[in-house]
Amino acid sequence: MKKALQILFILSIFFPIAFLLLLSLGRNWPYPELLPQSLSLENWEFLQKSDSKLLQTFFLSLGISILVATVTTALAFITSKHIALSKYRNKLMLLAYIPYVLSPVILAATLHFFFIYAGISGNVSGVLLAQFFIAYPFGVIILNNFWNHKTRAIEELSKTLGSSSWQTFKNVLLPISKNALLLCFFQTFLVSWFEFGLTNLIGVGSVQTLTVRVFSFVNEANIFYAALASCLLILPPMILIWINKRYIFATETVI
Amino acid sequence: MEPLLHIDNITKSFGSETVLHNVSFTLQEHEVLSVLGKSGSGKTTLLKILAGLEKEDDGTISLSRKRMNDTPPNKRNIVYLYQEPLLFPHLNVSENIAFGLKIRKQSPDVIKTKVEHMLAEIGLEEHAEKMPHQLSGGQRQRVSFARALIIEPKVLLLDEPFGALDAETRVQMQELFKKLSKKMKLTSIFITHDLKEALTMGDHIGKIELGHFKRYESKQDFYDDVDSGAQQEAAFWKQFN
Repeated sequence: MKKALQILFILSIFFPIAFLLLLSLGRNWPYPELLPQSLSLENWEFLQKSDSKLLQTFFLSLGISILVATVTTALAFITSKHIALSKYRNKLMLLAYIPYVLSPVILAATLHFFFIYAGISGNVSGVLLAQFFIAYPFGVIILNNFWNHKTRAIEELSKTLGSSSWQTFKNVLLPISKNALLLCFFQTFLVSWFEFGLTNLIGVGSVQTLTVRVFSFVNEANIFYAALASCLLILPPMILIWINKRYIFATETVI
Repeated sequence: MEPLLHIDNITKSFGSETVLHNVSFTLQEHEVLSVLGKSGSGKTTLLKILAGLEKEDDGTISLSRKRMNDTPPNKRNIVYLYQEPLLFPHLNVSENIAFGLKIRKQSPDVIKTKVEHMLAEIGLEEHAEKMPHQLSGGQRQRVSFARALIIEPKVLLLDEPFGALDAETRVQMQELFKKLSKKMKLTSIFITHDLKEALTMGDHIGKIELGHFKRYESKQDFYDDVDSGAQQEAAFWKQFN
């Protein structure tokens, strides 16, 4: 039974990936054929075509998501500490859920006027800021639990042993928060990476991330290119899952 | 002799609740002062104020005749030890003990020698490379002590350090503390709610109740005070004679 569940679990992960790969290699797949009539790398050559800009889109998305995740993680670390120490902790944490209660698209629609007014609608900085609005509260929610009574006590202990605030941060807080920070980075990276509605609205078609391109291909009913772009889309999350398993779960620090 | 630590009229409130009322006492060099106090009596707040982790509302703290009120915790050379032996989870036993020396940028050779010496003192030479989660509660408390003592603090503040230990380990730790305290000529404030432990560990006894501090001149004074609870404790055990 356990073995069967394991196989089912592995299949549930790898079947969609294999299917996407097959689709990306497929040519001429008329109904009701079970498989494409021919397989070739022709779709993948689309990546190299200068007018496709798919590779540029991939790297643009990667850049945006890395930047959003890095800035978010750094700021959420500081913010979550101040919130955890505040006597208004619960009220402030409630605020962090507002973007998700509203839904990101409605938030974007609400803020769009200000983005146009600031001249950042339809450019990368606007998309970065818009995604930050969504990822930042999420980062605060993730890191909030890190700042518990024990972390506070360890921080105080480090200070009474002679560490300055910077030494405490570098030698104690950073190492013990490594897993929480990586988790926050990965999660906010994924929020940014798969963000569609907000990016589409603020990017107004001028800033096309990979997720937006996948939806474009789907709308055009171009399933082969959509599959190709999806293969690229799942690449970073897969790498993140591997890093997570290899380095985080394997070296979990016991506090 | 001039006291090492001089506490004068320390007052602290949280909102409308006054936790410490004009607390005043002195501590001589190499003296261990046991302080008895129940939960919520203000004892932890008092220690945190002395360590610089909480800010007093009023009053002065002087260490070696120097006013310490505005000195940050890392500059006071007063170590505060929690009831729970908080070891840094990412460092092994040796690295935990060496922490304060590394912060003070001592040379690797000096650190190595001092850590080895301290490991021998606490009887954990064979556990030097172990991580904190591989140690028992008593062993973690020993490491916690060693890490504090190695930097030779002017005052050691112990907030019910043996409260979470079983009876046997507790006695072992009390003996170890007494041995190290005598050998290293420690000056410390030892908070406990255990009357017997207070009498065993301290050279002098103090009591904190609802934010009011009282220091007894001698252990006999402490026993003679009806409110100290010592006479009731003695009467309890006498009934079995």
